[in-house]
Amino acid sequence: MRRRARVSLIGEVTGLSRSKAQAYFELRDAEGAVPCAIWLNELEKLDLPEEGLRDGFEVVIDGGPDYYPGNAQASPSFFFRATRIRLAGEGDLLARLEALRKQLRSEGLFELQKQLARPRLPKTIGVVTAESGAARRDLLAGLRRRGWAGTVIWAFAPVQDRRAAPAIGAAIQELAATPAVEAIVVTRGGGSLADLWAFCDETLCRTVAMLRVPVISAVGHERDSTLIDDVAAVACSTPTHAAEAVAPLDCLAARSALTRSAAALRRAGEGAAGTRSRRLVALARGPARALRRERIALNQKTREVRASSARGLAERRAFQRRLASVALSRAARRAAGAEADSRREALRRAEVAFRAHEPERTLERGYALAEDPAGEPVTSATAAIAAGRVRLRFADGRVGAEIDKDRSEA
Amino acid sequence: MSEKPESYEAAVERLEQIIDRLDSGQAGLRETLELCREGRELVTYCSAELDAVSEGLKELRLDELAARLESPQP
Repeated sequence: MRRRARVSLIGEVTGLSRSKAQAYFELRDAEGAVPCAIWLNELEKLDLPEEGLRDGFEVVIDGGPDYYPGNAQASPSFFFRATRIRLAGEGDLLARLEALRKQLRSEGLFELQKQLARPRLPKTIGVVTAESGAARRDLLAGLRRRGWAGTVIWAFAPVQDRRAAPAIGAAIQELAATPAVEAIVVTRGGGSLADLWAFCDETLCRTVAMLRVPVISAVGHERDSTLIDDVAAVACSTPTHAAEAVAPLDCLAARSALTRSAAALRRAGEGAAGTRSRRLVALARGPARALRRERIALNQKTREVRASSARGLAERRAFQRRLASVALSRAARRAAGAEADSRREALRRAEVAFRAHEPERTLERGYALAEDPAGEPVTSATAAIAAGRVRLRFADGRVGAEIDKDRSEA
Repeated sequence: MSEKPESYEAAVERLEQIIDRLDSGQAGLRETLELCREGRELVTYCSAELDAVSEGLKELRLDELAARLESPQP
């Protein structure tokens, strides 16, 4: 069996103990553990830190299966015989981290926290961090800068060694079970990937992913990327950024905005009532104004009508007066005989005119009038020729006359 | 608003809607007065929420809280 293939395993050293000849430990990862042993003389030859092999170290061990047959006091057992141990390097850890990351992403665990609603103004927040450390101070300072002065519930936990991941996981779960806690911050300062390895713990990350309270992670510095950053609702590069993420609302700015909103509402309320009441008053005045205008116009008309009827009466009276005076003067003239004289004079003038047109006046001037035998005037040569014989009437009497048609002239 | 807002952010969102509507000048008198009343209630709510995180930062320890809960009540 000892000739079987040599393999390399990676994991965390736990339960380290030593006998006279060997060191025993378990190499553990998220899925389980393998019992291991190494000869002390081989261990001492290895390039390990000064303090030697310690619990919590992430190591890569080379070796293969081995068998202990047991004795009167000890049971037989299978175990992994390590022939070489080295601390896991960045590359080993990164390879493990990538495998885990791929696994959790494929299970959709990166999305769960990101779908949770994060309160903009939490009254109580939970924080998991080391009791002593700059992260605690920086987070508080960040919260104060935003004017946030609610309640912080601290859950202190080791943030770097093999106890860290289970302690952080337990603290997060306890905070999440506290009803007042609306969001949880997990934070620690920067370090190597090995220092931050607790925050890549699969169990811890699965716990965070399944929580119904949003978790904000701020582990390490900007370039450090731990698995808890992937599963958290928000990953921040520093505790200060975590303060901004857990209390997104700047309380001082929010207070100013609220004051402005209150003023806008007051203006709108007063303005709406004021403007409308002024319009109503104006509308109410409208009919009254129109009535007054009509009344004034009516009064004017009445005055005009009165004036005009007074004028009419006066004119009529004047006319009547004129009529009366004409009648009176006529009566007076009649009474004086003046009108009789004028009529007589007119009659005389008519008589003179009429007489001027009488035939006798013409005959008196030497003219003669031809008459047929019946006494009717003959007024043309043709009628005279036709008559043959006429009587000529002179002013002093009539004489007969023969018409000589042969000597007639046209 | 007869019911308490769902959250501070919901209250602020509704308040912004109300002010936009009022600023548009399209709300009639009855609506305006109703919006102003609702807005004042939202301002009161938001103000109380801000007050709740303005009275001085309080720090508690989870282990002490847990111990207090576990100890028998006097």
